[in-house]
Amino acid sequence: MPGCQKNGESQLRNAGLILYLYVISRNAGDFLCEDGAMNSATIERLKKIVGEDNVLDNPADLYVYGSDSSVHEALPQVIVRPQNVEQVQELMRYANNEKIPIVPRGSGSGMSGQVVPVQGGIVLDMKGMNRILEINPQDGYCRVEPGVVDDDLNKALKPYGVFYPPTPASSIVATVGGEIANNASGGRSVKYGAARDAVLAVKVVLANGELLSFGSTTRVSASGYPLEKLMVGSEGTLAVIVEACLRFVPIPKMRCLGSAKFNKLSEAGDAIADIMGSGCQPSMLELIDKVAIIAVNKANNLGLPEVEAILLYEADGMAKEMIDAEIERIQKICKKHKGFDLESSYEAKERARIWAGRAKLFPSLSKYDESLASTSLADDMAVPFSKMAACADKIHEIADKYDLVMTAYGHCGAGCMHTKILMDTDKAVSWENAREAVREIYEFVRSVGGTTSAEHGIGLSKAAAFKKEKEASLELMRAIKKAFDPNNILNPGKLMDGPDDWVEETELRYQSS
Amino acid sequence: MTDLSKLEKWRSALSKCIRCGYCYDQCPIYKETGWEADSPRGKLILLYGMLSGEIEPSDYIANKLFECFHCNRCQKACASGVPIQDVYNDARAFLVESGFDVVGTTSRTDHDVCARCLNCIRMCEHDARKFVDGKVVTDVLKCQSCGSCFDICPECGVTIQRGFGTNPNELLNRVDTFLNDPNNPDAKAIVFSCGYSSYPGLKHAEFEDFVISKEYEILVTACSGRLKSHTVLESLERGAWGVLICCCPEDECEHGGSPRVKERMKNLTKIMERIDIDPKRVQVVEVPQGDEAKFLESTSTFMDDIRAIGPLSPEAETVGSKK
Repeated sequence: MPGCQKNGESQLRNAGLILYLYVISRNAGDFLCEDGAMNSATIERLKKIVGEDNVLDNPADLYVYGSDSSVHEALPQVIVRPQNVEQVQELMRYANNEKIPIVPRGSGSGMSGQVVPVQGGIVLDMKGMNRILEINPQDGYCRVEPGVVDDDLNKALKPYGVFYPPTPASSIVATVGGEIANNASGGRSVKYGAARDAVLAVKVVLANGELLSFGSTTRVSASGYPLEKLMVGSEGTLAVIVEACLRFVPIPKMRCLGSAKFNKLSEAGDAIADIMGSGCQPSMLELIDKVAIIAVNKANNLGLPEVEAILLYEADGMAKEMIDAEIERIQKICKKHKGFDLESSYEAKERARIWAGRAKLFPSLSKYDESLASTSLADDMAVPFSKMAACADKIHEIADKYDLVMTAYGHCGAGCMHTKILMDTDKAVSWENAREAVREIYEFVRSVGGTTSAEHGIGLSKAAAFKKEKEASLELMRAIKKAFDPNNILNPGKLMDGPDDWVEETELRYQSS
Repeated sequence: MTDLSKLEKWRSALSKCIRCGYCYDQCPIYKETGWEADSPRGKLILLYGMLSGEIEPSDYIANKLFECFHCNRCQKACASGVPIQDVYNDARAFLVESGFDVVGTTSRTDHDVCARCLNCIRMCEHDARKFVDGKVVTDVLKCQSCGSCFDICPECGVTIQRGFGTNPNELLNRVDTFLNDPNNPDAKAIVFSCGYSSYPGLKHAEFEDFVISKEYEILVTACSGRLKSHTVLESLERGAWGVLICCCPEDECEHGGSPRVKERMKNLTKIMERIDIDPKRVQVVEVPQGDEAKFLESTSTFMDDIRAIGPLSPEAETVGSKK
């Protein structure tokens, strides 16, 4: 286990060396020196393209850019920050010619290793291209560069009374480019959809440096292959997104948030399926299970009743009558499935109180137990509405089996389930157990017609499950990849080419023994 | 091999950083450079890397750790509860003990210029300056990069090498960019905001029901006390109709800069009055930390004043043209 045998310092250094040799053996390109560093001619060439100030190759920077929010790490040889489309084109022409791997990166907040440069090469830091190019309220779209941070875009859109809808929880850091590459979404995807729904058109630079426009700025576009949508969820493997044309939607005038408690997880699950099946249109529908409630109480002393499940539901809109009707319908269904302690409010303060359990969940998991770290594993999946409760049950069953702490929460109105594995990352056995738990969870997800990723992406840690789920179409995907990127320089080793065993075949950013 | 045992106790805290990056938006250093190794997450990754033996400590890393305005917003925003400043403090002590050459954002004294008045030593709230062997030296482990010494030095002998947007020339470049933006004909005023008090509140406000006016630009200093009169006058000279300075309430200011900037601006406005420049063009307001309502109210009142006074007319009011 390359990531799990590092004890003494000499072994640690050896591990670093092995990593370099691994990179060299995978690339064997002329752009590398014998010690695995990028040769000076290549660095000079890159500096010529983007300017001296936009190239980093200090080992410290390489190390920082070698990881994201996942459990993985791998060293790039250089970080390059292009400032405009022409520079991206020139970089791609050069990298393609020299066959240097190139990994586009936003803020690196991805949770599955999408931007970890497993074959080394160039990390293309797209945050330097962060201009909002056009806001066109009349035609209902905006054009942005990929490095624009989600919250910054929404701040700019606010005066127009509209917002860009995917808004993942990480919108304070996530870039639009990264959101498109991963098809990000968030709590309100049940009503407003994901990045894929918001993308009208993209400009991309292909591996050979060619600049192409896909899609159109119109709301409808009937025929041909929707290549702009193909870019969404492609995780940087097909082309570099250099501009996106996004649709936006009106900011609702009011919101009402409610909650219901359940003594059985299955009853909450039935309520979810019934709410979604009956034509209700919540703007949010969230599940928090008992493990999560305990975690939140433990870390924050919130004093939430430790019931089996809490459902949170929100409706938003322009008229109170419509929202009242939605909330009423949802509450009626909750009651039917033995939900109790129902409450709801339009008031911001009350909504914050009702939401507190969910708001504090993410940080609470890290504080759950001093000896455990919260790792991004089996972090994301989607199952049919009617299988949400069974999925949560299964997660707990598997966690118990492998002596791990896992919680189940998620945007269940979209069928999206999140979890985290809390474990002692210093112990190799934790990783062995985590691998088996992840494998079994995704086996279950597939068995009920679910899918490997709802919104976090595949990257490295979900590649094995993804490959099983998409078994029949992997070759076709590889053919598409080849058509776009014949030299396989764009984010190689991801999605259908990701590892079958993420513990054995990748470097882990944690040390264990 | 350098002795890293002092950092060993933080191993678990560093493992707990889930690398979500939510600290990026909080950090004035990262916001300035955009490079991830300048962010709190980046710095924690570097410490983890050193501790795990995957990277060697270096002057480069040491300087990154000393590039910090000690505003502590990263720690407050940390979803995983990593005690970032405590980790930094131990890491800094380790790096200094290991002999790394650190400067970062700490203040330095030019000994050729220094008049040995020792004002900087007397006023430093952090006990970070000492007179040793006839020279004023900075204790880099105590210096919080607030820049109070920078402002008080009569000989301009104190410098902060990398200001990350807060040094006078950097502030004035931004003043120029804002006032000369062809796409913003509404540009009128400059708001210099303390990086410790009003700015965090403002950041919070931005995510609520608030859109920044296009009429003024908010430029963040470290402690508002380091803002020089010259920078304010230059802003007017370069076309600002007015300048608002947001500082902490005096009893909340951790760096002692708040009373000083108020005194300095009082003197400045007296001089302005004598040369027929409306003193209302330069105002100081106290904004407690996190009080976005006060910030909005203050800027709104200030902008009303400025709109009523109008632009600085070249004939009547050019700065320094009248005695």
